Amino acid sequence: MEDFIIIIFIISLIYLAKAEMIRSYVGLLAFQGLLLFFTAYYKLQEIDVVHLSFILIETLIFKALFVPVFFLRIIKSKNHRNNTGPVKGYYSVLISSIIIAISFMVAHNMHDEHLQVKYFTAAIASIFVGLFIAINHKDILTHLTSYLVIENGIFLLSLALGSEMPMFVNAAILLDIFTSVLIMGIFFNRLKDYFQNTEIGTLSNLKD
Amino acid sequence: MIEIFLVITIILAAGTAFVRNINISHIMVFGYFIFLAGLGVYMAEHVGETFSEYFLSDYMGLIFMAVLIVISFSSALHYITFAKKREVRPAEAALHNAGTIFFTGAMTGVLFAAHFGVLWAFVEATTIGASILIYHNRNHESLEATWKYLFVCSIGVAIAFAGILFLGLASQEKGSIDFTYAGFKAIAPTLYPGWLKACFLLVVTGFSVKMGLVPLFNVDIDAKDAAPSQVGASLSSVLMNAGFVAIYRFYEAFSGTSILPWMNTFLLITGVASLFFAAVYALRVRNIKRLFAYSSMEHAGLVIIAFACGGIGYFAAILHLIMHSLTKSSLFFQVSQMHRIYNTKLDEGIGSYLKINPIGGLVILLGFLSIIALPPSGLFISELMMVQALITNNLWWLAVIIIGLVLVIIYGLATRMLGILFINKPNGNIYEKGATVWESVIQLALILLVFYIGLLRPQVIVDTINLAIKTLPI
Repeated sequence: MEDFIIIIFIISLIYLAKAEMIRSYVGLLAFQGLLLFFTAYYKLQEIDVVHLSFILIETLIFKALFVPVFFLRIIKSKNHRNNTGPVKGYYSVLISSIIIAISFMVAHNMHDEHLQVKYFTAAIASIFVGLFIAINHKDILTHLTSYLVIENGIFLLSLALGSEMPMFVNAAILLDIFTSVLIMGIFFNRLKDYFQNTEIGTLSNLKD
Repeated sequence: MIEIFLVITIILAAGTAFVRNINISHIMVFGYFIFLAGLGVYMAEHVGETFSEYFLSDYMGLIFMAVLIVISFSSALHYITFAKKREVRPAEAALHNAGTIFFTGAMTGVLFAAHFGVLWAFVEATTIGASILIYHNRNHESLEATWKYLFVCSIGVAIAFAGILFLGLASQEKGSIDFTYAGFKAIAPTLYPGWLKACFLLVVTGFSVKMGLVPLFNVDIDAKDAAPSQVGASLSSVLMNAGFVAIYRFYEAFSGTSILPWMNTFLLITGVASLFFAAVYALRVRNIKRLFAYSSMEHAGLVIIAFACGGIGYFAAILHLIMHSLTKSSLFFQVSQMHRIYNTKLDEGIGSYLKINPIGGLVILLGFLSIIALPPSGLFISELMMVQALITNNLWWLAVIIIGLVLVIIYGLATRMLGILFINKPNGNIYEKGATVWESVIQLALILLVFYIGLLRPQVIVDTINLAIKTLPI
């Protein structure tokens, strides 16, 4: 079951890289949140109930519900249509697939008995696909999406280290909550008021 | 004690955010600085001790704590005039003062953390505190800078977190997960070097945004430009020091392993690249705040280069950070007055400053002489030691390149700053009453302190720095 969830998570990364509609990001982020909830449930059963509950609630409520609902609210108030960067369509699929393949090769060659190859592959792939999305797009919402994908990668990386580090899994979650809420809740709303469209290209007042 | 201090920080920051009387809001900040100074004294009396596994008091933390107290106090004093002259609304002042408390508390946590996880959490907290301060002016520029700073810092800190996770992976091989500096340092030589290298690479990359180094330096420059000048002063001095301490903790923990030469090479590359970018931008920039920001990047690069050389370079790096903090914060503070007088940050709109505001002009002149490391500036001593460290390591060819890049930056600084001081430019409306003598006196005192240290090298400073670096390999 764990393997199946991780494979689905990796496939969702390819979809994220290819997605061109902001609405698709919302669905995929919610779906990834759900997958991380099940992954954490299977992976962290040995840790104490308080830590496990905190992690499960965070993945389900924050990742799978709060973030997508917040995104949907923004989309409702803005007219978000196609969102394309210089690398489009199946070229994005190709690049994300190459990232995943390289991540797998790196993880496979680690030769570390404590390292869980599947988690490590998904984590590294998620971080780099997130960076690829950030570089490839100019929309602020897409940049937020890329940040959340990187965060999901960090969360999986903490799971890759096994269940002996609940404190660090919790820390990864706090990173999620604090920064995401601050970025999204406060500044995005302000940015939206100041700048009429959400293209990052319009944020270019600061120059040498 | 430090746990109580951190709880007070959160309570006081939250309380200050809701105070609607500006004077009371300022008093709360100064009240907090009394606590801060008290903590400094307490930590100095308990040097070498650890507190509840997560905090420690050591000379490295104490040195930068002293700098933090001086700069934060000066910054808060300057904010009083800033708020008055700009007619800042009580709610905005309250948020700024709350941000100041939170930001200072977070940096204190970075300096005294004894655990990599706790260190990381405090570095993350500085991002939130700094974002509140950068956003103060609430215009297009500040909003853009805050957004970029928050976004890139978050990615940087997430990358550093991945680095710390690699530490966990490395130590799992030995069946122990101890993230305290001392605990990790004890087992570090037995761990797989590949994981340690990966960790160091990610941590330096992630924390580069705090120290203002390559690769994540861009948002730091924007933040120093868009934030009020006294905030720019803090970002250029105490936050840079905190970023250095964060990198230093990892370096020190790994210094007993086989990756030491690799770490030094990596730091050397990072430092030279930072210096190169600073030199390129210093020549073309017209905005005086950005010019000072690139100068800070230059000095961050020099510090990292000196540190990578080891030996006398360790001493030079710490001394350089102290001297740079005092000088650069004075220059940033003075920009605030300059802006009040000329209503511009661009050098073409600022001229004859020495004539229009003689004391302020003297600050810029002495600050310029100090920042370019002319004797008797303390920066001259530290830069001389850096060159010595490079030559000791047989890196004389690199010393030549570095001196060349520094000369380019000095040229960039000289053409703008001497022009501001002495050349009569077709200015618009000049508001001479924008000058404030007592502010310039504080700035002069900070710069004269740099000259005093450069001339006399007080034994207490030399001894404290030597004690701070004694755990590093010779």
